[in-house]
Amino acid sequence: MTTMNVDSRGTACPGPITDLIRAYKKAQNGDMIVLVANDPGVVPDSKAWCERTKNVFVGSKNIEDYFEITIQVTGKRA
Amino acid sequence: MKKIAVIGSGAGGLITSSKLAKDLSKEIKNGEVSIMLFDKKREQEFQPGYLEVAFRGTDPAKIRRPMKKLVSEGVKIVHDNCEKVDLPNRYLKTEGSSEKIDFDYIIISTGSSPDYDQVPGLRDANMDFHTDAYNSSLIYQQVLKIKSGRIVVGIGGLPYKCPPSPNESAFMLDEHFRKAGIRDKVEITYITPFTRIYSADSINEVIAPMYKDRSIESVTAFNTDSVDASKKEITSLEGETMKYDYLFLTPPHKPAEFLKNTELSDEDGWVKVDKRNLHITDYDNGFAIGDTTNIPISKAGVEAHLEGIVVANNIIAEIKGTEKRYKFTGRTQCSMETGFHKATFVVGTYDTPVQKITPSTFNYMEKKVMEKIYWGSLHGHYEWLFKYHFKKDYFEN
Repeated sequence: MTTMNVDSRGTACPGPITDLIRAYKKAQNGDMIVLVANDPGVVPDSKAWCERTKNVFVGSKNIEDYFEITIQVTGKRA
Repeated sequence: MKKIAVIGSGAGGLITSSKLAKDLSKEIKNGEVSIMLFDKKREQEFQPGYLEVAFRGTDPAKIRRPMKKLVSEGVKIVHDNCEKVDLPNRYLKTEGSSEKIDFDYIIISTGSSPDYDQVPGLRDANMDFHTDAYNSSLIYQQVLKIKSGRIVVGIGGLPYKCPPSPNESAFMLDEHFRKAGIRDKVEITYITPFTRIYSADSINEVIAPMYKDRSIESVTAFNTDSVDASKKEITSLEGETMKYDYLFLTPPHKPAEFLKNTELSDEDGWVKVDKRNLHITDYDNGFAIGDTTNIPISKAGVEAHLEGIVVANNIIAEIKGTEKRYKFTGRTQCSMETGFHKATFVVGTYDTPVQKITPSTFNYMEKKVMEKIYWGSLHGHYEWLFKYHFKKDYFEN
């Protein structure tokens, strides 16, 4: 299992989701993606994306002026 | 003598070199400054025009010009591609040459191109309206033959250039088949890896109802992984499959090959720059603009244009010894044609979210005016107009 850290701070929609999807393409099932972004839309967008793609939205934290979102990759076909 | 090297003769490279040549004309004449523009290409195409060629049958020759007519006086064009940039030692090499070409300033503007290796099978299956005028004209001949079936359009991978173009292709195909009187026999499905039909919510609010009205089906969060041309089937990263009869996907894009695995670029080869002053990280004399950069904004001509003006102004200020410096505001202004002579614009900056703009005929006319002035704008003829239009977003003082 690998943890991929994706820093999208300073970018607005669709920057963080673009970065998330690009990281996801390189990830494998079981990997964790930790996305940090200061666009408030990133939390609902990431949740919706996880639901649709069958990945796990582990949680989000509001840290100072940014959000940290953790996603477990589970949706990719074997 | 101050030597300025501009790599790439797309919109960004041409506008930047013409601005430099115009404002430094005296210094060039006196032999104090030289500008060299490197690119193997002998022609340039107006890339937003590919849609018109592919879906309306516009003559591809109308959106193509020879490079010699686009390079401004004072700029020396070198018809070779760059192979290596050594920023610490301030030299570059062209393909197949061992000669070191010195520079004092360098602007990398090498754009992006389709990366079909990311999506196995896509190249063979795809009707690519997005990459060059000639192939777009072949696509039009194929579009004319479609009488029924399922068309799948959309985003085949990230990143890609010209963000609204996949949506535009859906709208223009809808228009084509309505005008042909066979829309009820053709199913159009739009696929996107984003969770909305357009990634920015404000534009999605505008176009999602239009998709419903035009009976364009949408499938969001669809991450295209591979295409099987023999089965006419797309498979997503999650294992979902989708059948098609005709496929019009915008492929993911990649940067110029020589940028990959260098200290200038991120892991995918996009050049790392400061998003406001466009300096290549840690180098005051190196810049990158347009699609080439890793800036998380649209890969589109307007960004390359505005970034080029900022970079040119700052180099001019440094050469002339003035203190004023400029910054890029992140301004984007991508037109999105919605069919039947209407268009909206995707407008935003680093600090202001994308606006909600209702499609209108006026917007469509504005888009058409831009097409008319495009070639002249590469020479810098309309900077007064862009400065007036973009106002505080033209650049930040």
